[in-house]
Amino acid sequence: MWGFFFIGPGLVLILLFVLWPAAQTLALSFLNKDGFAGLRNFANLFGDKAIWDPARFLRREPPWGALLHNLVWVCLHLPITVALGLFLAVLFAKAPNWVSIFRSALFLGIVTPMIVGGVVIRYLFEGHSGIIPQILGALGVGKPWSSGWMAYPETALLGLIVGSTWLWTGFSMVLHSAGLSSIDPELFEAAQIDGASEWAQFKYITVPLLRPVTIVVAVLTLFWELKIFDIVYVATMGGPGRASTVLALEMYFAGFRALDPYKASAIATLITAVSVPLGYWFAARRVRR
Amino acid sequence: MRSLKLGIGFVVLGLGVLAAEPLVVIGPWSGAEADPFVAVLEAFQKETGIAVEYRVMRAEDIATVFPAQFAAGLTPGDLVFTAWGWWVKEFAEHMVDVSEEIANIPFTSEPIVVEGRAVGIPYVTWVKPGFWYRKSFFAAHGLTPPTSWEEFLALLEKLETIPGVEKAAASGDGVGWPLSDMTEHFIITFGGLDMHLGLINGTIKWQSPEVRAVFENYLIPFLTHASEPIEWTAALDMWWDGKYGIYFMGNWLTGMVKDPTDLGVFTLPGCKAVVGGTDYMFIPKYSKRAEDARKLLAFLVSKEGVALRVSKGGKLSMRADVGPENYPPAEAALAKAVGALTIAPDMDDTIGGDWQRAFWDQLKLLWVKPAALDDVLRILDELHPAAKG
Repeated sequence: MWGFFFIGPGLVLILLFVLWPAAQTLALSFLNKDGFAGLRNFANLFGDKAIWDPARFLRREPPWGALLHNLVWVCLHLPITVALGLFLAVLFAKAPNWVSIFRSALFLGIVTPMIVGGVVIRYLFEGHSGIIPQILGALGVGKPWSSGWMAYPETALLGLIVGSTWLWTGFSMVLHSAGLSSIDPELFEAAQIDGASEWAQFKYITVPLLRPVTIVVAVLTLFWELKIFDIVYVATMGGPGRASTVLALEMYFAGFRALDPYKASAIATLITAVSVPLGYWFAARRVRR
Repeated sequence: MRSLKLGIGFVVLGLGVLAAEPLVVIGPWSGAEADPFVAVLEAFQKETGIAVEYRVMRAEDIATVFPAQFAAGLTPGDLVFTAWGWWVKEFAEHMVDVSEEIANIPFTSEPIVVEGRAVGIPYVTWVKPGFWYRKSFFAAHGLTPPTSWEEFLALLEKLETIPGVEKAAASGDGVGWPLSDMTEHFIITFGGLDMHLGLINGTIKWQSPEVRAVFENYLIPFLTHASEPIEWTAALDMWWDGKYGIYFMGNWLTGMVKDPTDLGVFTLPGCKAVVGGTDYMFIPKYSKRAEDARKLLAFLVSKEGVALRVSKGGKLSMRADVGPENYPPAEAALAKAVGALTIAPDMDDTIGGDWQRAFWDQLKLLWVKPAALDDVLRILDELHPAAKG
């Protein structure tokens, strides 16, 4: 009874500001200006090449549609940031104290507001002042790699993913560092006495014991990737020619440019429909273990 | 008794704080572009004693922030400026009718009137007259403005032989409007004003042979001499420094360069009309300072207010009774140059909505991938409000 008393205010707030708007959004996604639309809004989404264009994906000609862009983002960004964060956490754990300055520098990415991050990415890959195209140009790499990445359909999405890797790796690194500090050092000492190599220690002690942390990092990263908006909005506006658009951006355009709340709600529901099963799958794996 | 006095004291203090709250004006201009407007606000403040605070918000941000604020009966600003007339019409019910403040004003740009209520009032005007160049740069290299398409192409080629010049023309970017400005100039020049208007109201298709021909025969050949899209203020600096020879931009550019007297401008040869437009101001009906906002609006559209604003450069008058005699030299020359031309409506600002964003985005693609022309034209047709019904 007392438990309900204490969690009551929180529950009311969640009900009012999370569940009620979410239910409203879900309801709107089944309506249109004429009334009940059934699944028509969703059917329209999958007929909309801005959302889903697998034929161009197979031909590797961007744009592929926002949903596929989000999935590409997940396929590239998720393994890179999780693995890189783990690798750096292990590296810094064994490094002398002064190296922690680099750890702080890496963590800067995650404390930087994503809007600012988007601006930084835009200029990082800008043709005249961006360091990445300049380096590639000096190495003799041709266009569009040595030009403004955000200006070309072949490079815009990749540039955003690479840039956001810098912004997000610090998060993975810090959580893995915290997990590492909770592993009993005696396990490593015992392994060393038994003659285990560094690689064997990493493979048989570090990775298995960090698995719960890794899964949390992966789930949170996954959700971040599926709802990504700010970086794309600032750096490319989803262009050129929708080559870097993502679901959340299409939702914004539908809601605030086309002034179509039904389509925007359908996209929001689609994002949830993609996120929840994937998140549940990750979380269930963690519970089973 | 003592607590009553204390209470009254707090109320008086509270009212004092409220009175000190400035009138909030929201507009799209920042930096050097905002300075002339801020000077006008200061003049109003001096004349009326009403404190005014200017805040920057682009049309895109206004379109994002205001609908939710309106739904809650709130507003972030008391007098707001946006170039998106379509947006003002869409949300007219949330705006104050200012018919009285604008009665008998000889506007050259029409106010937005919805159901008999004047809600969006034009505030000075701008034109997108053509390609700007530095007179000193052209003189130093023996260049002259072209008088035919062939001369224009020859000029582009000659510019690219000059040491230090990367490309003949700079292409401004941002959200994409500088590219659409340039495209509209090509359409008006080589397709005519009727094509421009037909594309706006949807009676002419983007994929029609005559529109495609404008792109294929004129815009795309030009693109081989144009830079890839660069953030427009950065492009302005690079053009001024000689990295590019010419730069297409609206007349607000005159207020953003170090020496406006060094500016020259030419339209594409044969051009009979240029795009012009205005920024609309509106007073949200949720403003707690609506009366003061009305006073400011009345000041801004008054003969004195307009004369003061246009005297500072970067804008032209929207009142028939405030003429070129009030302009600084650069605007006076511009007004003379475009005086014989028809002023056409800005295509993307007129159509608005999702089409506007798509237009900007598809042109960014076209600029780096001219081979995508057919896809670009198809998408512009598909997303046009006329096609959606």
